[in-house]
Amino acid sequence: MNEVVSLKHVSKSFKNEKAVADVSFSIQAGEIVAILGPNGAGKTTTILMMLGLMEPETGFSTLFGNDPKSKKVREKIGAMLQEVSVMDGLTCREILTLVRSYYPNPLPVNELINLTGLEEKDLKKRAEKLSGGQKRRLNFALALAGDPDLLFFDEPTVGMDISARKSFWDTVRLLRERGKTIIFTTHYLQEADDVAERIIMFHKGRIVADGRPDVLKSKLARQTVSFVAENRMPLDEFWKLPNVRDVYRLGDRIYVLSDDSDRVLEALFQNKWNIRNIQTEQGKLEEAFDHLTQTGKREVV
Amino acid sequence: MNMWIAQCKAEITRMLRNKYFVFWSLFMPILFYYIFTRVVNTGVADQEAWQAHYLMSMTTFSVMGSSIMSLGIRLVQERTQGWTLYMRITPLSHTAYFFAKMASQTLIHLFSILVIFVAGILLNGVSLTVGVWIMSASWILVASTPFLALGTLVGTMKRVDTASGVSNVIYMVLAVCGGMWMPVEVFPDLMQRIVKWLPSYNFGNGAWEIAAGHVPAGNSIFILIGYSIIFMLVSNYIRRKQEVV
Repeated sequence: MNEVVSLKHVSKSFKNEKAVADVSFSIQAGEIVAILGPNGAGKTTTILMMLGLMEPETGFSTLFGNDPKSKKVREKIGAMLQEVSVMDGLTCREILTLVRSYYPNPLPVNELINLTGLEEKDLKKRAEKLSGGQKRRLNFALALAGDPDLLFFDEPTVGMDISARKSFWDTVRLLRERGKTIIFTTHYLQEADDVAERIIMFHKGRIVADGRPDVLKSKLARQTVSFVAENRMPLDEFWKLPNVRDVYRLGDRIYVLSDDSDRVLEALFQNKWNIRNIQTEQGKLEEAFDHLTQTGKREVV
Repeated sequence: MNMWIAQCKAEITRMLRNKYFVFWSLFMPILFYYIFTRVVNTGVADQEAWQAHYLMSMTTFSVMGSSIMSLGIRLVQERTQGWTLYMRITPLSHTAYFFAKMASQTLIHLFSILVIFVAGILLNGVSLTVGVWIMSASWILVASTPFLALGTLVGTMKRVDTASGVSNVIYMVLAVCGGMWMPVEVFPDLMQRIVKWLPSYNFGNGAWEIAAGHVPAGNSIFILIGYSIIFMLVSNYIRRKQEVV
């Protein structure tokens, strides 16, 4: 077991409002983890506590089994944080050279350029003259400057256009192949689903789900079996099916929501009801996400 | 050590590229020096002594300015832009970062002193003994400590606009009242007695005394040490309070 990140019973509140409440999890070397949640779910606070930039009120967090503030740890991490601009008065290349000098085994400048999509001509520009997108690339390059084993990206794609986003995630996949451990926060479900091997879902400062995207989907997103019934059968009959969570009628179709559509189908056939045009649908992670984060606000059909 | 040197180099590059620094700390003092020793007839009996005296005024004016303004505003800028936060996750320790800032600030001061002294020699042929040149330069370097501390105090402000506004006012008031623009002897009696407690007056006075062939007064040294301690304590206190959040 090679535990890279460990959080134990970590809590933090601001002005008496709990931002993070009793959160514990650990991340192993080589994992690529998305911390997913709506705005204000406590994602950034959790990242800042992992990095040692914010002290938890209770509990503790370690990186590589050590204090995140120790030099040994800092030499092995890199991060792209929100609201971090670049140092002014220096050219891109000068900043890269400076930051590379902090680390024992920095990546060569041309490799940083290749990985982040910075261009040779950008390197000569003063950092304050860069466009927003170029600044993000420079921040990305700075996060990678020390060839870190563990990377943190807090809402990395905010403000990126589609092509920048794509090339960012391509590089992240490349970094994962090199064995890096990567943690990123996002409120875009699609990103978490596409890139991460594990999703930790936050809501109101707590972890509401944690697992592989497909497992989360099957566990959280309920499957739907729908069909057209010949005669107007009472819905109560369908409530008797196994693992049923909900039954409703929409138009001439009846929808059965369940945890396990295989068993529902089996039972439907066994009962030999007069039904036809059967369809099954896998719930989307999106729905699971909405479901988890909006408990109590259930949709009425 | 390498990263520390790289940090100092970067800081110095940034400062020399800063237009405000070049304008306020090099151009303006030399311009004033030219005006008040060559253009305006100040009617001073001993021209030579006045030229040396005013050269010290302008050098202390320059160094005081870059201590309060350049350092203070830069600190606020780096914090508001998140750079300070970013630095905390790099292996460069906060202490190394801070000392690199102070060391490069001191080197920049040394550079300003040399430039302004050379301007004095070229413009007016100011001639002092080697000992006096070295003594006065060292005094200006070391006695700028309270202003560096004041700079870090300005550096605790939340917004760049506030910091630059406030530090500008402090700088000008200190310079004028401290006798850097005109000798305090032209002030009314009561005001003269008050301004002698200002850090700027004591900073300048040490340099004036050296240029006149004396040593800085013990009073000046104590007052400057006192201000240094006060500014450092207050700025540390505020910083600690800000970090709690």
